[in-house]
Amino acid sequence: MIKIEQLSKAFAVTRRGTLRAWRTPAPPPVQAVRDVSLSAPAGQITGLLGPNGAGKTTTLRVLAGLIKPDAGSISVDGIDVLAQPHAALQRMGVLSDARGLYPRLSARENIVYYGLLRGMSREAAQARAAELARMFEMTALLDRRTEGFSQGERLKTALARALVHDPANVVLDEPTNGLDVLATRALRESLRWLRSPEGGGKTILFSTHIMQEVERLCDSVVVVSQGRTVATGTVAQLLERTGEQDFEQAFVRLAFTNPVAAQVLA
Amino acid sequence: MNMWASAGAVYAKEMIDALRDRRTLLVVLASSVLLGPLVLIALSGLVASFEARAEKREVYVLGLLHAPSLRNFLERQSSVVREAPADYQAQLRDSRMADPVVVIPPDFEAALVRGDVPVLELVSDSANKQAESGSGRVHRLLMAFGRERAMLSLAMRGVASELIDPLEVQETDLASTQTRATQLTGMLPFFVLMAVLYGALSAALDTTAGERERGSLEPLLMNPTAPLALVLGKWGAVASVAMLIAVLSCFSFLPAQWLLRSDTLQALFQFGLREALLFLLVLLPLAAALSAVLMAVAIRCKSVKEAQANASLVVLLVSLLPLVSIFNLGGEAPWHLWVPALAQNTLMTRVLKGEDLPLVQCLVPLAVCLVLSIASLRFIAGRLRAAAVR
Repeated sequence: MIKIEQLSKAFAVTRRGTLRAWRTPAPPPVQAVRDVSLSAPAGQITGLLGPNGAGKTTTLRVLAGLIKPDAGSISVDGIDVLAQPHAALQRMGVLSDARGLYPRLSARENIVYYGLLRGMSREAAQARAAELARMFEMTALLDRRTEGFSQGERLKTALARALVHDPANVVLDEPTNGLDVLATRALRESLRWLRSPEGGGKTILFSTHIMQEVERLCDSVVVVSQGRTVATGTVAQLLERTGEQDFEQAFVRLAFTNPVAAQVLA
Repeated sequence: MNMWASAGAVYAKEMIDALRDRRTLLVVLASSVLLGPLVLIALSGLVASFEARAEKREVYVLGLLHAPSLRNFLERQSSVVREAPADYQAQLRDSRMADPVVVIPPDFEAALVRGDVPVLELVSDSANKQAESGSGRVHRLLMAFGRERAMLSLAMRGVASELIDPLEVQETDLASTQTRATQLTGMLPFFVLMAVLYGALSAALDTTAGERERGSLEPLLMNPTAPLALVLGKWGAVASVAMLIAVLSCFSFLPAQWLLRSDTLQALFQFGLREALLFLLVLLPLAAALSAVLMAVAIRCKSVKEAQANASLVVLLVSLLPLVSIFNLGGEAPWHLWVPALAQNTLMTRVLKGEDLPLVQCLVPLAVCLVLSIASLRFIAGRLRAAAVR
């Protein structure tokens, strides 16, 4: 269960090192996130849908404890992320936008390394890597260096690495970026399985800007635009509220019309 | 979780990563292992060529026919007298000739007999090191010839030879064999310092700027691990690689000595196990400190390329500082021991001179390295999160 309330975060703009840049008054900070609230319950897939620059990645980075927010609160399974970041991270598996695998290490070593950093014994991490490899059908890849991996293989490895400690909450930042149809389908299957009671009934929160993924996968959708949560609900509910047949059309109306008007609509 | 266990996991991973970067590692290892032999072979070749020339005792003369008495004297001194080639000036300038040339005027013999003080020209080129080193020897020979002539004339007139040589100069060289050797081997500490620096460089950049460039720093920080644990593990690995290079380059001098061609150099250059261990005592803390400094410089950079440009400043400093003592500007000053790289260079030079290293003098650079490491590591740990998301 992930809960974010009224999150806001502004970034100071770094000035260029030229004399002219320093003479002019400092540029105003960029408000990446203004007011994002969402609730992702356990056993459900929640989509964080928004156009580019809506504040999705910043929101997820705050959730992962990488950035301190200016205001707002975040909790993971009731643990305050700001007060106990390590305890909260222990209950989360995060797949960041940058997959960030180590090219000279094998897939297994990449996975086990994160297991060790999460306090697992080497044996437990090895066993878990083998189990995850079976789950993601990547056992043959396990002892190859990740250097030559395809995007799909990289994603599987990074996802396995994020799940090595069997977290109750899974957070994915634009997981389908750069994946082909088959890899995307495989990922969808994996996420559905993770949501199911056999897969652990996990809380799954993932950000995307692709409508089809949301339509096919999400139990509920949080639409963000210009740093604000502008609508929340199931796909059907959002269609109904906007009075559109096509989800893409509904999204455009929600995300690109006046956010205040959109909220009233919601 | 336990910080040291995390740091250990990071250390193990970074070591594997560094050791698998075969190409970089091979180049760095090969250059550090070959360093000793190559430097020593070059030095011994130089010394051997000096020795060979001194043994040959050749004197090149232009206009030999005009001075039979000088020829007679030189041959009595068991020198081999050779007629200089006509284009000797050009040859000296181009360093094709390795000996100075004595030019004798046509009426030399007659002027000598008349007592007209004939002029002998000793031609050398101060840019031609080999000819220059021989000109002192030839100059002394010519002066000896003059003195012999003077004594003979005085003796014929019944004057004691002590009148013209009222004093005798006896030269005493205070330098020990090893001190003399440092004129030749003075560059060695510098090469060793460079090897350690370049050994640390690639690993330091890969674990910081490389991690940012690959985008692997962000997911790494999403683990519940203290940044300091990550930094300590990374630093440990980089420092280990740098120390490995230090050990290899110091011990490479031991077998390299067997290759020494020059007996003189072999006698002068006494680098045994004791010297190698003292070198390491001096170098290992520096290897650790340099690793931390390079990582601190690189963590600010988004790509390895940018980090390389920034690290070149550190490389420049480390290569310039020892020059203070190589140029011997104002001799050795106490503050030298407080400057990293310069301090290590100073101490290693002392080891080569065969001097003792007082404990206090080793503690000062050690403390400096410790402070430098701690400051750099704290800086990196503080920057890690900001570096991951920017």
